[in-house]
Amino acid sequence: MNDSSWSVFVVLCVLVSFIVVGLRQKSRESTEYGFGGRYTGRIGGGAAIASNWMSAASLMGLAGLIYLQGYQALAYVIGWTGGYVLLLVLLASQIRRFGKFTAPDFVGERYGSSAARLIAAVISIAISVIYCVAQFKGIGMIFSFMFGIDYTRGVMFGGVAVVSYLVLSGMLGVPRNQQMLYFVISVSFIVPLMWLARKLGYFWLLPQFGYGEAIADLSRQFSIDFTLPFAQGSLFGWCALCFTLMVGTAGLPHVLSRFYTVPNIRDARWSVVWGLFFIALIYWSAPAYAVFGRLLEAQQGHQFSPAAARSMADIIVLKTAVSAGLPGWLVGVLAAGALSAAFFTVAGLLMTGAASISYDIYYSILNPRASESARMQVAKAGTLVLAALVLLLALNPPGLIAEITAVAFALAGNTIFPLFLLGIWWERANREGAIAGMLTGIVCTFAEPLLSGVLPQVGAWFPITSSALCGAPLVICVMIAVSLVTPPPPEEMRRFLEQEVHGHLD
Amino acid sequence: MSHQNKRYQVNLFRPKTGHMRDEVLIIFAILFGWAICTFGFQIVLAVSRGTGAGDLLTRLTFFNLPLHFWFTAQFLPLWFIVLCVVFNVYIDRITQYHSRRRDRSYE
Repeated sequence: MNDSSWSVFVVLCVLVSFIVVGLRQKSRESTEYGFGGRYTGRIGGGAAIASNWMSAASLMGLAGLIYLQGYQALAYVIGWTGGYVLLLVLLASQIRRFGKFTAPDFVGERYGSSAARLIAAVISIAISVIYCVAQFKGIGMIFSFMFGIDYTRGVMFGGVAVVSYLVLSGMLGVPRNQQMLYFVISVSFIVPLMWLARKLGYFWLLPQFGYGEAIADLSRQFSIDFTLPFAQGSLFGWCALCFTLMVGTAGLPHVLSRFYTVPNIRDARWSVVWGLFFIALIYWSAPAYAVFGRLLEAQQGHQFSPAAARSMADIIVLKTAVSAGLPGWLVGVLAAGALSAAFFTVAGLLMTGAASISYDIYYSILNPRASESARMQVAKAGTLVLAALVLLLALNPPGLIAEITAVAFALAGNTIFPLFLLGIWWERANREGAIAGMLTGIVCTFAEPLLSGVLPQVGAWFPITSSALCGAPLVICVMIAVSLVTPPPPEEMRRFLEQEVHGHLD
Repeated sequence: MSHQNKRYQVNLFRPKTGHMRDEVLIIFAILFGWAICTFGFQIVLAVSRGTGAGDLLTRLTFFNLPLHFWFTAQFLPLWFIVLCVVFNVYIDRITQYHSRRRDRSYE
């Protein structure tokens, strides 16, 4: 077998092993643990948070942007880790005590309005779709890289593969083993990096910390200054992007729902710490890929135009591995980790999106008397419709993987984060405020493409990937102002907030 | 009657006494540490560019990395973990303290 068929083989093995392990675990669990599933402790909970979080954006997009932009792209590393501080400190325990874990549920309950619930559901679905487009782009690029086909066909094959995998594991009823997923993702990302560092002659035991030498060589031998701060952007750009990703993390639908699965609040809090540590392990490694990629390119004397560099940035992790001469099976391992992260992220997001269509839109609003099986049908059809929509959008991706993902974060940070923040910490926030806030948030997120033609200043303050630095505070102000001029929320909700959510120990 | 006139209030900036007050104090402390190191450092880096202090930040190396790159790429994620640990330890402690005070068992 040649190198590329080895990689395809490894990828297939990994994907099949998830199904096999899941099925074995299922048969064991129904006899030993009952149907509730088993509790894996704080570390296991942390691994589940991390595996839920890892996607093509973390494993491919991050290194790609650092490769392109150097220091400027570290805003992604910081934004995607620092958001967990906000989430833990401001929202985690309180949302857990509130007892609603999806954005539409929380909004519907807290603000007592089906209109607000509908808008929140539409926003959640939009976030899922945007996030999935980025994943599909990653999957498509890996497919086209592995099989040597063009991107369009790569996305189509990849999309078909994801949906069949989803349908197959759904029919077999395979539970997701998130601890195993995290293990596969982290090993498949870090082991090739160690190999790479060793091959290039750097400290390989901890390549996360060994790539400093490579940066020094890059500037000494090729006078490429990789670390120059704010060379490719501005301080405002850096901070706006970082802040956007942080508030987006704290408002992202599939991140919040993790708190539901851990039995008590204390363990939920500690599993966030473990989750952050597991995420940081990957994020400490991503810059190393970018630096090694640059170094290899310089050593081999390649000079790429900015456009060419941009077009291959998202695949730089695999490209670096190949051009360093890593064995085919190891490239396969690397691709398998990124693919499984993307597959499971897509699966999770499409199913949440479809559940939202079925429950929040179809059942709650369109047809309250729908039967269980009718709702199930809508959910299944919804999954396919969403997948088709995502595929269509991914055929012509509007940006790099990490950039597309950042738009999803901006939308979450502009709409869902303020709603949770004020909903939890200010009893006076009401339904009118919530609706006005969400609409303002949507406008802020898409201000650059919509309004910058008319008002050029708007584009400068609300860049599409980083609109929440100005957007989230603006939305909060709008929510406060509208809430104050309209009647307060019902007595019962305010009592619940004071006595249950914030007064559980009084 | 008096029950109906009571105005329930929840406000991050005007916490009730007791557990919520302690909780809000640590929240602000952690958020301060989070904001200073993330955004404060970048502002210092941008403002001091071209001056002696700025050169020092970019020329000194640590783990072979320029100091500012090391701080952002490697120290900050670690710092976030530390902040979360501090927060959890503190919350565990005040939860225990207030549960005992009210003579309740801890979760």
